[in-house]
Amino acid sequence: MYGRLPIVKMLAAIVALTAAISAVMLSINWDGQEASTAASKIDDLLNVMIVISSFVFSLVVVALFYALWKFKAKPGDESDGEPIHGNTRLEIAWTLIPTIIVLFGGGYSWKVLDEIEKPAKNPLTVDVFSQQYAWSFGYPGKGNVWSQGELHVPVNRQIQFKMHAQDVIHSFWVPEWRIKKDNVPGITTTAIVTPDKVGTYQLVCTELCGFGHATMRAKVVVEPPGQFQKWVAGLKEKVPQPLAESVVQDTETNPAPLSAGGA
Amino acid sequence: MESATVALGHHAEEHHGPPEANQSSRIDKQTLGILLFIVSEVMLFGAFFASYFFLRVVVSPAAWPPHPYELPVPVAGVNTAILVSSSFTVHYALESIRRGNREGMKLGLLLTWMLGATFLFIQINEYVHLGFSARDLSFGSIFYCLTGLHGAHVFVGLMLLSFATIRAFRGHFGPKAEDHLGVEVPGIYWHFVDVMWIIVYVTVYIL
Amino acid sequence: MLAAIKRPGWTRGALGALAFAAFGFGLVISLRAISGLPLYQTEQTGYPHVIVPLILAPLGFLAGFGCFDYWLRWAAGAPTIPDDHSQHGAKTWKDYFRFNTDHKVIGIQYICTTFFFFFVGGLMAMLIRAELAQPGTQIVDAATYNSLFSTHAVLMIFVFVIPVFAGIANYVLPLMIGAPDMAFPRLNALSFWMLPLAGILFIGSFLAPGGAFDAGWTGYAPLSTGAPLGQSFFNLGVQFAGASSILTALNFLVTIITMRAPGMTFWRMPLLVWANLSTSLLVVAATPFIAGAQFMVLLDRLLHTNFFQFAAGGDVVSYQHIFWFYSHPAVYIMMLPGFGIVSEVISTHARKPIFGYRLMALALLGIVVLSYSVWAHHMFVSGMFSWLRVPMMLTTLLIAVPTGIKIFSWLGTLYFGKIHTYSTSMLFALAFIVTFTIGGISGVMLGMVPIDIHVTDTYFIVAHIHFVLFGGSVFTIFAGIYHWFPKMTGRMYDEKLGRVHFWGTLIGTWGTFVPMHWIGMDGMPRRVADYASQFGNWNLLISCFAFMLGAVQLIFLYNMIVSWRFGPRAPANPWRANSIEWQVSSPPPIFNFDEIPRVVGGPYEFGVPGARHAIMAGEGAEVPATEPSVVGSP
Ligand code: HEA
Ligand code: HEA
Ligand code: CUA
Ligand SMILES: [Cu+2]
Repeated sequence: MYGRLPIVKMLAAIVALTAAISAVMLSINWDGQEASTAASKIDDLLNVMIVISSFVFSLVVVALFYALWKFKAKPGDESDGEPIHGNTRLEIAWTLIPTIIVLFGGGYSWKVLDEIEKPAKNPLTVDVFSQQYAWSFGYPGKGNVWSQGELHVPVNRQIQFKMHAQDVIHSFWVPEWRIKKDNVPGITTTAIVTPDKVGTYQLVCTELCGFGHATMRAKVVVEPPGQFQKWVAGLKEKVPQPLAESVVQDTETNPAPLSAGGA
Repeated sequence: MESATVALGHHAEEHHGPPEANQSSRIDKQTLGILLFIVSEVMLFGAFFASYFFLRVVVSPAAWPPHPYELPVPVAGVNTAILVSSSFTVHYALESIRRGNREGMKLGLLLTWMLGATFLFIQINEYVHLGFSARDLSFGSIFYCLTGLHGAHVFVGLMLLSFATIRAFRGHFGPKAEDHLGVEVPGIYWHFVDVMWIIVYVTVYIL
Repeated sequence: MLAAIKRPGWTRGALGALAFAAFGFGLVISLRAISGLPLYQTEQTGYPHVIVPLILAPLGFLAGFGCFDYWLRWAAGAPTIPDDHSQHGAKTWKDYFRFNTDHKVIGIQYICTTFFFFFVGGLMAMLIRAELAQPGTQIVDAATYNSLFSTHAVLMIFVFVIPVFAGIANYVLPLMIGAPDMAFPRLNALSFWMLPLAGILFIGSFLAPGGAFDAGWTGYAPLSTGAPLGQSFFNLGVQFAGASSILTALNFLVTIITMRAPGMTFWRMPLLVWANLSTSLLVVAATPFIAGAQFMVLLDRLLHTNFFQFAAGGDVVSYQHIFWFYSHPAVYIMMLPGFGIVSEVISTHARKPIFGYRLMALALLGIVVLSYSVWAHHMFVSGMFSWLRVPMMLTTLLIAVPTGIKIFSWLGTLYFGKIHTYSTSMLFALAFIVTFTIGGISGVMLGMVPIDIHVTDTYFIVAHIHFVLFGGSVFTIFAGIYHWFPKMTGRMYDEKLGRVHFWGTLIGTWGTFVPMHWIGMDGMPRRVADYASQFGNWNLLISCFAFMLGAVQLIFLYNMIVSWRFGPRAPANPWRANSIEWQVSSPPPIFNFDEIPRVVGGPYEFGVPGARHAIMAGEGAEVPATEPSVVGSP
């Protein structure tokens, strides 16, 4: 009734296009520098997704352009196409194959998520305080000293950031670490990072928090443990009393003892 | 293909109204409409119940209602009984007109209206005597919003019932199914308001 | 003069608005006086003497304009006036500015109003891009910038994309299913008139002290609960837009279920009808959630309740749950009708039946069901319950499956067809397939928690948004407008200008939004007026493409206006389509049909010998109707 499609040639074109797109895309370092143990895992996941996505995209593009090239009506041709209503096997195939692909992607992501959030034995806890429009950091294990606008952490040691927002939601992001977490008023949120490259980075606020949102930044220094100890020892001020109190009141799920008082 | 295209435009001017639409389902428009509207109302309550869940279960305050607030559970229980009974009177009104009993319909509608108004009155009275306001903790906020949202629905229901009552006393409505939609549709809405109250009462006062 | 006041219309509408506003103002002031409070409360978030009149004035306008006249007479039991159909049809352009119950007039009212808001929102996008063209401050300060992108997004979403689909469907859907009008014509008109009111509230917020709302279109608490007065305009506008879309959806559902022509079973409905059925299910059940969320914010602002005030036992994250429980389905509310349009266009211009019609319809319903189970994918880093992330990730990824079915079935429709690309609508439909696929794929990446942790709240999201909303929704809107332009206006548009618009839009879209993926991954957060200088060159490039994208929209505007006025007369069925709306004249007669047509086959039977979709009145009875007259009742 109607002709056959050059399936093999089309597949070859799809594979070739996938390879070409992937090659270009993988050669570019999309996420920028990697500076934590999580970064390489997330970037690997991203790269796998780039290949899969290139494939899906190539499939759609090749299929579309082949159809446009082959089945374009000649000028003046007023006739209709073949009255094909469907093909059950094909329809099952394009339901099942994407299901398998996304379930694979889901499983892989789950594994990565588990790995990057696994707590280590001896982490360093750092309190993060955010307010419109400034960051400050407390070191509860070091006599609760605090530092304003500058975060120092030792390299190659897991850091557990406990985040506390004073007014509205802010979000903690160091692009090179690939880790981001909202700071929510009333609750403590946690982010786990193991920095593995010494250097100076920027902490960016990524949740809209008012007119100063764009400039709410802080300096992040990752340094060898010895240097870090020296820096902490040099900190004189303690976390101010109101902030320290707010930390006690915050819990992961419980904002404040409800019977404590009226509005 | 082109030949199959029939332009019907020029006949239109001679007609004085639209053609009768085909009825493609057993359910009539008004009833389906009010049912869908109720779905959307249920979801509106759903948003506030979701908030209730977060404030009570997720935040999990030490006590609920928080010390020293108390809810008048028995009074509200009596009020619940009043509202629930009005579901029966509105049903009676509908059944009456189905059987052609106009007086029964009028009586049923009037009774329903009065029961509903009583409910609303007692509810407002309760607000006045509660001793806390919507500004008092999240508890006060969600209490007033859930019961207030429901109260607003009682109010709307009463408006619809007033329309039906006025029309009933002016001689509208008849036993045929399409002649008493004006009683049936407010009735459906009223049943919804009642059922919703039972859910609100159980969640807010009892659980 | 008195007559003008009594007659429903603009004068009475304006008076109604004034009267209701004055009443609200008086109410607030006197209540405050009685309670011994200061008459005016002007602390940042309060302003009850502004808010209450703002709620009442639109209602007063609607009442004065004549939206409730019939119902009030009915409610009072007064004898109803026999309908003289004076509210039907449009003879002059003035009739488009009246309370009109004709679904065709309402459809055009919708489309014109929403495109007005598209251009206003687009103008704001141009200002955004001008500000971002270089690092540092260019034209606006940071606070104004926040207002700009917030109003940009809100106008585009709530008073452009969502309602324009309602407008297109309003026009064609009753014709398609062989109904003389919508099920509730007066409700339909009321829904329409709420829409400009919402838009005016959104734009009017620029006049509020403290500036327009600036907490983003998502309006997260507690930023929104503490924001200046403009935020309340947003809270209120959403109520009007939301009520409008709920009532329209209800109207569509009742129309589709109870008013199909004899023989039009569910499996014979065009996919546009299926798409609007699915969308309406989403709207009816999801929209109340955003109404609820914005109510709570309004109450927190106005009455100082504590829904989101953590110090008094409120829950900050609960706002996001309630908001996204609506707003994720909302993204499909903005996409499914487009899927319907594309199905019509592709099948017609490829001269082939839709490939896998039933699976296409089922995929729509699958998306509806799934879309209620994925809301928390916007909250992966929000500090919500961490156990919810993996289940939400899996459901999110699964949405790719029904969507993929649709993409592949459109491609399947093209094979062994006779593809015509002379129409701009077909070009947009084909471009949509590719562009939307990219947006969908970036969506799938966002669905993966580890990737989302890195890129959420960066320009990667902005890229995703615009690929799905511009390359997805707006492309399908353009396809639909070009496709039904001849039907709606009775004139042909200029294909040459259409092509220029198409290529400009395609290149503009890709040029503007592709680089955003990259700068996002590389570290540029979204919603910032200023950024690190390393992104300067990319942003300049993006802005240039954006200006081009904006400029070609002016060509579209010109084409539409001039063709509507001077274009060549359109035949009844210029695209040789099968569905019923093409079997009546262009524009269709005032009551659509002399007699309801009979449906005897599927809507896309191209190339099937002797197949027919519908038999119009006045045609020979030689083709027997095989179906009983009441079929497929739910
Ligand atoms: C029209 C609107 C629209 C549509 C259709 C979509 C579709 C999708 N979106 Fe998107 N989304 C938005 C509008 C839309 N989105 C908006 C406005 C936001 C931002 C809100 C804000 O914060 O301001 C957002 C944000 C957003 C986020 C949150 C990001 C964040 O803030 O951190 C996520 C995360 O999961 C997401 C995912 C998805 C997915 C998985 C789809 C899927 O439905 C896509 C499915 C389609 C395909 C996958 C392509 C076709 C399929 C195939 C060709 C089959 C084969 C494919 C595979 C095997 C992969 N979207
Ligand atoms: C349907 C929805 C929709 C549409 C169509 C658009 C269209 C456009 N959007 Fe928008 N956008 C959103 C929905 C949409 N957007 C959303 C939801 C957000 C998130 C907001 C938030 O974070 O809260 C957003 C945010 C957003 C940002 C990010 C702001 C930020 O995070 O800081 C940017 C930046 O470039 C942007 C740009 C554009 C551009 C250039 C267009 C263009 O495509 C517009 C093209 C159209 C026109 C230009 C109109 C026609 C022309 C004229 C009016 C004449 C004037 C022309 C000239 C002077 C040349 N948008
Ligand atoms: Cu803090 Cu943005
Ligand atoms: Cu979503």
